[in-house]
Amino acid sequence: MLIRSMIFKEWVKVRWFLLLYTLLAVLAVAYIFIRVRHDITFHEANNYWYFILFQGHSWFRLLRYIPLAGGLVLAVAQYFPETVNKRIKLTFHLPVEENRSLLMMMQFGTLCLLACFLLLFLLLCGLSRVWFPTEIIFSAVVSVTPWFLAGFAAYYLAALIILEPVWLRRILYLLVAAAFVPLYLTGSVPGGYGPAILALFLLTCLLSVALLFSGYRFRKGEM
Amino acid sequence: MDYAIECINLTHYYGKKLVYENLNFQVPEGTILGLLGKNGSGKTTTINILNGFLQPRSGRCLIYGEDSQRLSPANKARIGFLIEGHIQYSFMDIHQIEKFYSGFYPKWDREPYWELMSKLKVTPHQKISSMSCGQRSQVALGLILAQDPDLLILDDFSMGLDPGYRRLFIDYLRAYAKARHKTIFTTSHIVQDMERLIDDVLIMDYNRVLTQRPVEEFMREFKQFSFELEDEKAEIPQDGFVTNLERVKDKVELYTYQSEEFVRGYLHEKGIAVREFRQVEMGLEDAFIGLTGKY
Repeated sequence: MLIRSMIFKEWVKVRWFLLLYTLLAVLAVAYIFIRVRHDITFHEANNYWYFILFQGHSWFRLLRYIPLAGGLVLAVAQYFPETVNKRIKLTFHLPVEENRSLLMMMQFGTLCLLACFLLLFLLLCGLSRVWFPTEIIFSAVVSVTPWFLAGFAAYYLAALIILEPVWLRRILYLLVAAAFVPLYLTGSVPGGYGPAILALFLLTCLLSVALLFSGYRFRKGEM
Repeated sequence: MDYAIECINLTHYYGKKLVYENLNFQVPEGTILGLLGKNGSGKTTTINILNGFLQPRSGRCLIYGEDSQRLSPANKARIGFLIEGHIQYSFMDIHQIEKFYSGFYPKWDREPYWELMSKLKVTPHQKISSMSCGQRSQVALGLILAQDPDLLILDDFSMGLDPGYRRLFIDYLRAYAKARHKTIFTTSHIVQDMERLIDDVLIMDYNRVLTQRPVEEFMREFKQFSFELEDEKAEIPQDGFVTNLERVKDKVELYTYQSEEFVRGYLHEKGIAVREFRQVEMGLEDAFIGLTGKY
């Protein structure tokens, strides 16, 4: 029952933001393929594939910041209402261990992002099959995976920052996050991120529990 | 005697500023205790420590025998908490918030909540954020009543409420607490409200507790005497029995736990001639100001 209640609260907070974001992100993916279709029509498929395979043309680059934006939108929609008038006190007062409450919130957000990113990913792969051979699709998948991981990393770091009770620390965390997140986004060569994906995945998993630290600091009365 | 709350040698500082040192108090089960104090005397600090949102520098508070910094979920289910300003999840409406909380509390009783909601002139799916402060107070109170906690901790319940809603809140709460043997620990900056609600009063000043006792006993024993000095320049020695003395030229207000005979005899003994000597009837607010001073 309590898990259902917790999910209900989080859903009430994020539902419109999540739906709007998903809609816009799907439109962005659709736009990518409108461009692909346009380029193939005007440059012919063999020339276009040549650009992609030998000149590193990144036909899916529009997607680069979309998962990042999703992580930020979801984190703000989910955690900002908890900080207004220190409403997080209500959450911590629920008859649930405090860290468990925060982890449930984080898991909910992670699942929402996962569902949304999976939809985008499947759309990308599915529509790619209409226009491209497997080699091109595979290198695109390797390229966009860190971008999706960036969405999760941005979500976890934003949770840490929003729940942090002291403004100065928020700014400090923000600077660290601003230096850290571009790690996921710097490479533009298709498939170039291949060797780093596992390390980025593990790093992102570690970030997922960062919000517990802000929760701990709030409960100790830092202000 | 069983205590719902027991604070032992509580000491806290904000930076180097001492809030209080070795504060000790208990709240017996079934009583309504009002914590009174001026702004900055440590009321909200105490509430935050009780709810585990602030770690004291030293000492500890026990709630039903558990350290307030590490309350178990079962113990938290026994505590109803009203945040200053009747803060709730205002992005929900009254149906959503009832549905949300009902999943957490095994003793959830939706009847008192809906009884209170029926008195509010709100639409069924109106967001709490768009309600008036008075309406929000009723939502917060209704949720606490539905939770059916054994201990209610109310942080400045009167904040933002007009007199009608304050009276409604107090009367409803007192009737509920007395009928069901609930314990209430409350603060309010409107002291006169407390008079209708509380059994015991705990008055804090900067760094110390001035008194903790049944409010009736406090009102009976703490007195205000008013008089005018024959000689405007006469000095009144502030001996131990004088709790507070407020003076404007020849007009004096003296606050003490001593009797009228004692004060008259003291003034006579010191050769201080007075006129218009009388004991002034006080409400709790007058007594609070008398005890803590106007400044």
